[in-house]
Amino acid sequence: MSESLFIEVSKEQCQKYGEDCFGDTVYTKKIPEERRIISILSDGLGSGVKANILSSMTTRMAMKFVESNMELLRSSEVMMDALPICQIRKISYATFSIVDSELEGKTRIFEMDNPSFIFIRDGKEVKVKSRELSSPKWKERTINVSQITTQPEDRIILISDGVSQAGLGNKLYPLGWQRSGCVDYILKQIRKNPYISAYDLAHGVVREALEKEVEKKAGDDISCVVLYFRKPRKLLVLTGPPFDEDKDKEIAEMVSLYDGKTAICGGTTANIVERELCLKCEIDKTSFDEKIPMASKMEGVDLVTEGILTLTEVYRMLKEGIDKQKDNAAVRLANLLLDSDKIDFVVGTKINIAHQDPNLPMELEIRRNIVKKIFRILQDKYFKEISVRYV
Amino acid sequence: MKKVVVKICAGTSCFVMGAAQIQALEFTPPEDIADKIELVEVRCMNLCKDTTAKYNRGPFVMVNDELIEEATFEKVVEKIREVLKNQCD
Repeated sequence: MSESLFIEVSKEQCQKYGEDCFGDTVYTKKIPEERRIISILSDGLGSGVKANILSSMTTRMAMKFVESNMELLRSSEVMMDALPICQIRKISYATFSIVDSELEGKTRIFEMDNPSFIFIRDGKEVKVKSRELSSPKWKERTINVSQITTQPEDRIILISDGVSQAGLGNKLYPLGWQRSGCVDYILKQIRKNPYISAYDLAHGVVREALEKEVEKKAGDDISCVVLYFRKPRKLLVLTGPPFDEDKDKEIAEMVSLYDGKTAICGGTTANIVERELCLKCEIDKTSFDEKIPMASKMEGVDLVTEGILTLTEVYRMLKEGIDKQKDNAAVRLANLLLDSDKIDFVVGTKINIAHQDPNLPMELEIRRNIVKKIFRILQDKYFKEISVRYV
Repeated sequence: MKKVVVKICAGTSCFVMGAAQIQALEFTPPEDIADKIELVEVRCMNLCKDTTAKYNRGPFVMVNDELIEEATFEKVVEKIREVLKNQCD
């Protein structure tokens, strides 16, 4: 991504009540060398395993075709030919919506049979003109192609019909929540918080759709993908004392000179910054938790936490989901990471002798290892831009 | 009467060795000492590193100027009561 634009991509899904797997598939891929992100949502015919196979095949094939810039109609024909035919309905079928964001803002959207994408600019829904294409072989299937030059603070939202039809049969929503109901909800959320993250918005849409369902049981697979275009939010994470004590001043100054938010993870690291920059650091008792040491407050630093235990818990939450009920130091750090786009880790490699005592729990990992796991998951699952420097 | 200053190390190794339970003093202190103590949470006091002991003797807690090694909630409360008693005598 360029300095001028970053795309936060997030998805949330809920499977049809009673099914063992998702019938919708979302697949997002970042191609850094082409400064491009491709995100695909496919809804397979039916539900459960069969739908899952159809939608998984569709997203995988579509991704290959789109990333290699193959001609779209031909690609769609190949996809439709390749999908297995349903024994009951005698057709092969899965819908798709593809968002292909490349270079500095040029975004193309290809859609077949999903509810049409929602484009939000300046807090309003903007209708985008689209071109309709159909292949001679599959005349009844039409593909809509749209193009947008995206700007910072734009959002593109993809939903499956599980969202627009949520609540179908419910007295309050005889025709379902509908796309318009979903758009109203999204606009309301953006009015409330103009900088709402893709993660929060996608989760909100799915949660709200589920609320509409009879007995809150999903009548179909519910999926939402949000792409949030914005100027990159930068974060510096300083963790661990440097191997060479002569570098203490240098790393402390990184904090004061950084042009973005800053977080310090580690008691000794915080002590170094406090000493070198003559800042006052105090424990923040509002972050009390029995399992995670409390956070601290330091002037000019957005968050100060303990090191290994907090980072280990952050990694667990990045894997399994953030505990919204808590407000401990790890939750605050995980939220700060997810809210940032470009994260610079500076990792001190000095080994803490006190942590090597065999009586201490095994979970006390070596800092380098846990940071490595965190930045991998931030890159692969959350599509963050990460840099790591060891000192 | 001067309050007893209790410093609980919140460094990683002290925390996992039991400092988290001692922090309960902050929220549910025994009634007899509740208004006679001043709790100070501190980040790593480096006592785990600056030691000649072979194994870690944390969690470390300071009650006024006295260091308690391998501290527990009970040990700390006992020490606070002892200090308070000495102050009265």
